[in-house]
Amino acid sequence: MNCEEVRRSIQDYVTRELKPEDRRRFDAHLVECAECQRELALMTAVVSTLDHQMVLEPGPDFSEKVLSTLPRQRVLLLSPWWALALAPLLAGVVWLARVPIARGLDGLLGRVNVSHVTVPTLSLSQAGAGALAVALVGVAVAFGASAYAWREYLRD
Amino acid sequence: MLEHVESAPEEALVSRSARGDEQAFGVLVERYKGMLYSMAYRLMRDRGRAEDAAQESFIKAWAALPGFKGEAKFSSWLYRICYNTCISELRKKRPEVELDEAMGVPVAGPAEEFKNRDIQVVIQEEVSRLPDDYRAALTLFHFNGLSYDEIARLAHKPMGTVKAQIHRGRALLKARLLERVGWDNLKEVMWQ
Repeated sequence: MNCEEVRRSIQDYVTRELKPEDRRRFDAHLVECAECQRELALMTAVVSTLDHQMVLEPGPDFSEKVLSTLPRQRVLLLSPWWALALAPLLAGVVWLARVPIARGLDGLLGRVNVSHVTVPTLSLSQAGAGALAVALVGVAVAFGASAYAWREYLRD
Repeated sequence: MLEHVESAPEEALVSRSARGDEQAFGVLVERYKGMLYSMAYRLMRDRGRAEDAAQESFIKAWAALPGFKGEAKFSSWLYRICYNTCISELRKKRPEVELDEAMGVPVAGPAEEFKNRDIQVVIQEEVSRLPDDYRAALTLFHFNGLSYDEIARLAHKPMGTVKAQIHRGRALLKARLLERVGWDNLKEVMWQ
């Protein structure tokens, strides 16, 4: 390495980012060059100072000020208890509303029944069974959400 | 209970804070207030503004914690918030800061006076006079211990630019140290 190459790689030498092979060539030049030794001493002083900067402390009431001004968090996670309560609630609502749901489905299917296509209309009991199936899916989803919420809640 | 919270691992404190636990967040504030304030002070060079920026950073972190998924280290995430807060403050019109007074360092005298002065004080003083970009990159690299890649992502700059800013910053500091103190004085202090 010549002086110019040494000056170019002096920072990587000090921060130990220079490849071993280049480091050996750097050392070999350094032994015989007082100017580059001076440059190295200066850069070492700079890097060492930057690496050892002190941690400064803010005023004594800093933490108190922060904690007294915390805004409300937007917590998106559903509480495990609410998720659990959601399952029977959803099932109950669908079961209670099974008659209007059945009539609604019946009417809807009747409207799409055009002359050349025969679409079977649902009886009240069939629609009730459909409503029950929807409720069961709701229960499964609600239990899934509850399980996820519990896992998050118990994570630590 | 309080002792239990104070000794809790960081991951648990972050998770509890994200669910609105102010006591757990208080422990995180205690752990990181020095780092955040020091970082803000080095970027802004003013104690009052640095304290405001550090406080604002914690408040922003608290509000954003429910969305923190842990992809980055909590400390890196916090430094990013603090960096953005400081940069946004620096872009606003700011009052002129008397550097020497703000740094608590006496005004430099003639070269002879440097014989017994700590070289580190002179370098610190010169760091505060560097351009904002150089000072920010040097602070994040040397003080916060972030890698070139982390700084590049945090500052939205190419990695080559970050590396160049760090190298130029150090070269400027070295030149100013030599200019202010002189090699003969430095040699005596460094090699005594």
